Amino acid sequence: MKNKHVNFDAMTDNFNYYGTSPHEGILNRDEKKVLPTPRAEKARKNYLDTKSSVSVEFPYWYTRRWDELEGEIPIIRRAEALKTGFTHLTPSIFPGELLAMRKSNYTRGSYPMPWLSESFFLSKEEELYKEAQKSGKASADDATTMGLGGGNVTESIGNVLSIAGKFGLRKEEMTILIKTAKKWQNRSVEDLGHKYEQLVPGYDTKEEIMRAVICMFDSGYTLPQGREVINYYYPLQYGIEGIKKICADNRGITAGYPEMNRLYFYTAVHTMLEGIQIWIMNYSREARLMASLENEKQQKTEYLEMADRLERLSSNRPETFHDALQLIWIFHVAVLNEDAISGLSPGRLGQVLYPFWKNDMDKGILNRQKTIELLECMRVKFTEIDCFAAMGVVGGVLSGNTFNNLCIGGLDKEGNSAANELEMLILESAMSCDTPQPTLSLLFDEKLPEEFLLKGVECTKIGTGYPAWINNRVAMEFLLNNFRNEGMQSEEARAWAIGGCLETSAGSWMPLELNGETHFIPGGSAPATSVGVHFISLPKVLEAVLFDGLDQRTGRRVYPAHGLELDSYEKIWTQFKHYFSLSVEVLNLTNNIQHDIWGKVSPSIINSMLKPDCLDTGKDISHKGSRYNRTFNVEICGGVNLVNSLASIKKNIFDEKYFSLSELKFAIESNFGYRPAMETGSYSLTDQVRGADFVTWLKIHKLCLEAPKFGNDDKYADHIFREWQIWFSKMCENYRSLYDQPLYSCQISVSTHAPMGAVTLATADGRLCGTTFADGSVSAYPGSDKQGPYALFNSATCYNHALSQNSQLNMKIHPSVVMGREGSRKFLELIKAYLRKGAFHCQFNIVDSRMLKDAQKNPSQYRGLMVRVAGFTQYWVELGKQIQDEVIARTEYEQLS
Amino acid sequence: MRHYDCQYYLNTDVFKGICKRDKSLINADDTACEKFMNAIKCKYCLNFALTSEELGLCMNKFDAYPEMNAVTCNDFKQ
Repeated sequence: MKNKHVNFDAMTDNFNYYGTSPHEGILNRDEKKVLPTPRAEKARKNYLDTKSSVSVEFPYWYTRRWDELEGEIPIIRRAEALKTGFTHLTPSIFPGELLAMRKSNYTRGSYPMPWLSESFFLSKEEELYKEAQKSGKASADDATTMGLGGGNVTESIGNVLSIAGKFGLRKEEMTILIKTAKKWQNRSVEDLGHKYEQLVPGYDTKEEIMRAVICMFDSGYTLPQGREVINYYYPLQYGIEGIKKICADNRGITAGYPEMNRLYFYTAVHTMLEGIQIWIMNYSREARLMASLENEKQQKTEYLEMADRLERLSSNRPETFHDALQLIWIFHVAVLNEDAISGLSPGRLGQVLYPFWKNDMDKGILNRQKTIELLECMRVKFTEIDCFAAMGVVGGVLSGNTFNNLCIGGLDKEGNSAANELEMLILESAMSCDTPQPTLSLLFDEKLPEEFLLKGVECTKIGTGYPAWINNRVAMEFLLNNFRNEGMQSEEARAWAIGGCLETSAGSWMPLELNGETHFIPGGSAPATSVGVHFISLPKVLEAVLFDGLDQRTGRRVYPAHGLELDSYEKIWTQFKHYFSLSVEVLNLTNNIQHDIWGKVSPSIINSMLKPDCLDTGKDISHKGSRYNRTFNVEICGGVNLVNSLASIKKNIFDEKYFSLSELKFAIESNFGYRPAMETGSYSLTDQVRGADFVTWLKIHKLCLEAPKFGNDDKYADHIFREWQIWFSKMCENYRSLYDQPLYSCQISVSTHAPMGAVTLATADGRLCGTTFADGSVSAYPGSDKQGPYALFNSATCYNHALSQNSQLNMKIHPSVVMGREGSRKFLELIKAYLRKGAFHCQFNIVDSRMLKDAQKNPSQYRGLMVRVAGFTQYWVELGKQIQDEVIARTEYEQLS
Repeated sequence: MRHYDCQYYLNTDVFKGICKRDKSLINADDTACEKFMNAIKCKYCLNFALTSEELGLCMNKFDAYPEMNAVTCNDFKQ
């Protein structure tokens, strides 16, 4: 080892915060100025006291009807099965509710969908689960920790079983659940996909990639839809009977003509809508039943009004704001019940509903206070949404969140500011009733009014974590590049919104008619994004390069041995690109098969109906009925740790020759002398336990930590970052999706940086074994950004963000920095400065880290505390410790200059 | 008799719910009050026959389970 003076001060020196926090106790965020309405507060309190619960009702009836229709055309069979599921859902309406209907009979209800995947919710004794383990699908579950508080049912208690680490199931329903699940053996999307994906050359490598958690999960049978923007236009414009008439008319002109799939599609939609009508009417009857049992006059009246409203909406288009809000909620839930979905975003809801709202306000039948109350109730309803999936998906990817992203701002069809008064009320209701859902994204454009932007800043400051700030122009540039070949023009690019946590999604302007006027409302016009290659762990790929293709943690071979003497930085970088490309190639092909199977046996009917232009063309989403279809992507995780590690290798081994690659590998295998995170239960660098021989590795570890780091405007690290970004975005285009379109790059971590970090050895940047990676895509590794926010901004914008579907920057700011009106202005200037540099996205935790540490120790005192993770806000107590530790460790900015 | 088996029980989650009559918070498995009325469940349906503790047959041909709500079932017969 070459001699170099190294400062051996306490290791924690590396994680000093930028600035100095006040020394007196924990500092709270800016006080909320307005409390929620009593009705919403009651609903929220009920929610906070409610556990995630699953029922078997829907899967039971779905399966029963499916089996009755053996031999029927698949999409008709599917429509009939869904219809039967909907018509048998037990309605549940609680006192005080203004918006009716939910996913199941529980408040936080959801259910398994064994037609997609049947193995993951079975007990470990069951053969199916053992089969799942054999094929590597259980690995992500094993590496994930769920939040232990809040609404998660993490242990079986009494007559309730805990399944998938989060959901409660009544014991009485377990036997039928297993019986129902077994009926899908060899017929589910998962099993059929697995059968045919084995025909892909190199399939064994795919299995090893999954087992090593180099890739997080397959999308085709886990979350086949989502990360998209719903489109509410057709129900709002035509009502359910109106859409049924469109279907009936089209059946008449397609029956017997070529492209007969159109006939089956229209028939399926018609059938499906009949099911939705019965579902709505069951709720209407329940509302009347509740009214009959009610003694309080106002509550009785509300039940009866609800019953009348539901009855109207079961056939007709809405005429009022309340009706429109109820109808969009019904269709939102209907789509969520069709598939396992995360990230079904309502999109620019304030602009969709504005014509109804304005009409009611002008007529004097609605006021601001009533609007706020309705919007708050809507927030609680969205927060209730749960998604049932395996623990590795719900915990490891979603952190229990379902990513219903509501966008505000942006531009209208003509290119003017689209912000409106209703969106101001949406912001106000999101402040008064601060709940995780729907999260907000503000589509920033220079044309937006300052008052609107300041309202957004006020909302962020109280600690909601929303709105996220998104650059409208960067998104439009990405969309125009991505969808040019499918005919997108600037005008339509303006209709975009965020789908899921941060997925830029194509939209369209649709002509809504109300009172003789035409209003062009935005809505999603592309199917699920973030399907394709779901999260490749970049540090883990680099680990495989250093260890000749092995998963060094388990000793299993993942990639073919390269057998190279890695005696130059270029060889390491080239081999990294080779292994990464190999991963994308095989994962893309296998995922294409899974999604093809999904489209054949479990196609989308409701969501297809809603998306332009499926209803015009008679084609569902899987037959490219959507207006835009280039939606498959490659997602990555741990990019900053990769870049920091490459910078350390280049600097320490090849430039300065402080130590050899062999010495580094030995140090990595020895975890730099520290105990592994899985052993200590601590998942960030700030709180680690040294082993007896840590001194042996101290010098190498310090050199790794002191190597150039991304986030400091350091050209050495930023050059590597830029080279990676440009190569990555370009290489994605070499692969074709199921819809015969090139893939594109997507850079979000969601929560995957926790489980993926958990299975990765120590890395050359000094990160320790099992600890969580840096979040997002341009967030600095916690504690490593020491030059202030503007240096971080320079690093983050060293490449063109429009090359990718997104970029993601999370920052943690101490509340003292943004206090008061002056703090708001300073904060807004900071955000603008970053976005004006061409950045795509930033979001903030305004919180004193000491509060988070206290919350970790005393969770019962912090049930309502929310934090921003990566593209979503979640209750602190519902986060796993891996993510909690990472959020605590994030650099806390205590000054902004 | 448990609240869980009562027609007036409205569950919020798998553990608990409210009474539709008086809106009181109740645990699913606690003993019901004197106003108890059988819930509309398969186990109270004439078309249902138990085959084991947690399973049965509906109309002699479909697998079914005794605790399933049947409030939306057109074939429910008491």
